[in-house]
Amino acid sequence: MPFALARTLSRRSLFKLAVATLPLAAVGSAHANAEIGQPAPAFTAQGADGKPVSLAAYKGKTVVLEWSNHDCPFVVKHYESGNIPQLQKDATGKGVVWLQVISSAPGKQGHVEGASAIKINGFRNAAPSAVVLDPDGKLGKLYGAQTTPHLFIVDPAGKLVYKGGIDSIPSTRKDDIAKADNYVKLALADLGAGRPVAHASTKPYGCSVKYAD
Amino acid sequence: MTAMRPFSFASFASGLTVLALGLAANTGFAASSRASTPQVEAELVASAAAIRPGDEIQLGVRQKIIPHWHTYWVNPGDSGLATQIGWTLPEGARAGDIQWPTPGRFKLGPVVNYGYENEVTLLATVKAPADLQAGGRFPVKATVDWLVCQETCIPQQVELELTLPVQAAGSSVGPGSPLIEQARTSLPIESPWPIEARAGKDAITLRIAAAALAAHPPGELWFYADQWGKTAHDAPQPVTVVGNAIEIRIKPGDEPLKDAETLSGVLSIRDGNGRVQGYRVATPVSAAAGAIAAAPQTAESADLGVGMAVLLALAGGLILNLMPCVFPVLSIKALSVLRHAGHDRAQVRLQGLAYTAGVLSSFAALGAVLIALKAGGAQVGWGFQFQSPPFVLAVAYLMFTVGLSLSGVFTLGSSAAGIGTSLADKPGYAGSFFTGVLATVVATPCTAPFMGAALGFALGQSAPVLLAVFLSLGLGLALPYLLLCFWPALQRALPRPGVWMERVKQALAFPMYAAAVWLVWVLAQQAGPNAIAIALGGMLAIAFAAWLYDSSRNAHVFARHGGTGVALLTLVAALGGGYAGVQSSVANAAAPATATAGKHAWEPYSKARFDELRAAGKPVFVNFTAAWCITCLANEKVALSDASVTDAFRQAGITYLKGDWTNQDPQISAHLAEFGRSGVPLYLLYPAGAGSAPQVLPQLLTPSTVLSAIAAAGPATASPKLAKE
Repeated sequence: MPFALARTLSRRSLFKLAVATLPLAAVGSAHANAEIGQPAPAFTAQGADGKPVSLAAYKGKTVVLEWSNHDCPFVVKHYESGNIPQLQKDATGKGVVWLQVISSAPGKQGHVEGASAIKINGFRNAAPSAVVLDPDGKLGKLYGAQTTPHLFIVDPAGKLVYKGGIDSIPSTRKDDIAKADNYVKLALADLGAGRPVAHASTKPYGCSVKYAD
Repeated sequence: MTAMRPFSFASFASGLTVLALGLAANTGFAASSRASTPQVEAELVASAAAIRPGDEIQLGVRQKIIPHWHTYWVNPGDSGLATQIGWTLPEGARAGDIQWPTPGRFKLGPVVNYGYENEVTLLATVKAPADLQAGGRFPVKATVDWLVCQETCIPQQVELELTLPVQAAGSSVGPGSPLIEQARTSLPIESPWPIEARAGKDAITLRIAAAALAAHPPGELWFYADQWGKTAHDAPQPVTVVGNAIEIRIKPGDEPLKDAETLSGVLSIRDGNGRVQGYRVATPVSAAAGAIAAAPQTAESADLGVGMAVLLALAGGLILNLMPCVFPVLSIKALSVLRHAGHDRAQVRLQGLAYTAGVLSSFAALGAVLIALKAGGAQVGWGFQFQSPPFVLAVAYLMFTVGLSLSGVFTLGSSAAGIGTSLADKPGYAGSFFTGVLATVVATPCTAPFMGAALGFALGQSAPVLLAVFLSLGLGLALPYLLLCFWPALQRALPRPGVWMERVKQALAFPMYAAAVWLVWVLAQQAGPNAIAIALGGMLAIAFAAWLYDSSRNAHVFARHGGTGVALLTLVAALGGGYAGVQSSVANAAAPATATAGKHAWEPYSKARFDELRAAGKPVFVNFTAAWCITCLANEKVALSDASVTDAFRQAGITYLKGDWTNQDPQISAHLAEFGRSGVPLYLLYPAGAGSAPQVLPQLLTPSTVLSAIAAAGPATASPKLAKE
């Protein structure tokens, strides 16, 4: 740019910028879904307590998104066994933000109002940082959430670093939990230790998310 | 599959009632056992009425499902869970995996499931031990777990029992359940046609060489991958007829197949009579290069790719303006606009157009050369011209000459190359045109590393697409100057002309000299130390010619012609001598830089060495590089020679092979082509294990990207413990 001539912008930094931007432009195609290594899609949604929940507000923190449907047998397995509540407590204790997302449409299994969502969490000792209500399924579809549970982890820089299942054994049997590799626990440990997440994309398993028809 | 996993009797999460009826059939031995849930009625059946020592019989679990509900296939799709059967058999007997009938598809909003509705029988082969006692009993118990869903899902478990009488070997055995024979007809069969799969960037193309299908494409056709993540379950699978074959384009899923991995599953075809037949598919996906070169793309996806590439090229062209080699040339041009801003708008605009025309014709010419070379079957890649030492020398001379001109050693006439043309003297449209040409020539060394993605794509495309990408790149390069010429407001925003312009011009000579120094270094890599002497000698001659030309131009006629003549002769000698000298020293040059490999952490790449290491199952890191590739050099400096990286290579026992593509090397070109690349850099990390698929690292490396790739390659050999259902 000739007219940048008189500016003090150093050519070297422009050069670096040029080096850095092109390959990114090549990769960053028009995918709407959340992709590993890419910035996690930004959102602001309604929290069960009436306050808006915005991903941007948690910049600098690790954020876990957990799709849930309290009546789904796969979710029941991980809550009744105490597996997910324990994960939530461990994670939030270390400064991780845990968002439980409910994308069941009105009239479908798992759909709840904010007050009942909080009450249900009380019954099952759940301890997410916040519950996000997504009855129109926009957030679910933005992330490509397919199952309950389906988990996504966003690193402090806002990049998606994990998407997939809660663990490695798809079943509704509680005694499989101990035998399974808990991918969420492993991913959070990797993040905590500054390592890249070893299993960044795994098979989600569970009930289908009950989106509106 | 975990069909034979021992099962523990866990209580149910959802507390539903399972009515295990355990109805033994009326005649003592030929027992079939049934169990029902509100959604599913299950029955265990056998292919024979009795069993003999060493027999192989088939057992089947039939599910009768109430309307609108379904159970799942081995790959349940986006959600759901495959049915599991745990067998309890007499000692010595073994049961095989479930044989799955061809599944169907169920769509629930954006979620797609693979499974069965109404009725299905899952078969398994059971082999009796040879020491079975005739007259005894052969009790079989099946613990069957399934998930049955309509919209909501219910996990259920039943236990089914069946006892077969044992008969003596050789005796005749009565027929078993007709359900078994029925179930066999619903199993997928071997495909009568050759099926191959190619993995491209955005699609797997499954090619079925079936003339009959090509002549009459079936009404409904679907490929069911039997593993999660290999294909996107919800994406359409468009079918095209290509000659005597049909091709199905399948979108890869979240865990796409790597090169040479096997695509396996079932191809389901519904014929005109509504009959569904499944065909087994298990075919390794071939190299991406083949797919890019040979895949007949549907118009839709090709357009998408072209659009992106053209946009990318435009952006890349814009950025080229900032490159150290292009920037000075353009600045001079901009300065001349500045000097005459406000004089004659129309003329300034025409200058801009002439310049743009110069850039575009040069890019069109470059594109045409590439197309011609490709048509001639040459192994070309972008940056190919830099594999020719005379070309490198010529560009080094050019950079040097432009530098001399900027330093004020000589001034070229406004009609020739037009550096610093005076718009006041004459319009000089030709000058502007050639400035465009010059800008393109000096831009090419920068294009190679920066435009890799778009140009690599363009090289694999048809001629019109290739030209479109090149012209777009040219337009990007020309755009800032063009805007400046057409937009007086921008001109006014420029600083006021003055003596400083001369200083800036002189200062800008130094990047040109630096570029020349770099090119001479490249030349030394290609053609050995003698080439340095030749190049520097040539530059001396050029400097002398330039000085002579300029100092004699204001002398009287005789001296002027004499001076110009001598200058021209010197120039010709520099060019001719340089060309001849470089050519001969290429011939004499010892092996390239890689000869000094001994003291480095890497070994020179050769196909033989690579194959040897891979055959031994050793992990290998391959770096394809070239001295003229700035990105490559930066990566080597920043990432690959970093102590943490070399240590990690050593600890992981990874052999680091470096392939130098500074000069054309068909082995390296072939290896690049396997990955759909036509240029360097390319970084590949092959984990341990003879057949392991490589990771392709990004084109820009940092120590942490390399380290995480090494970390990922380590445990990957003991693949993640994903429970396969």
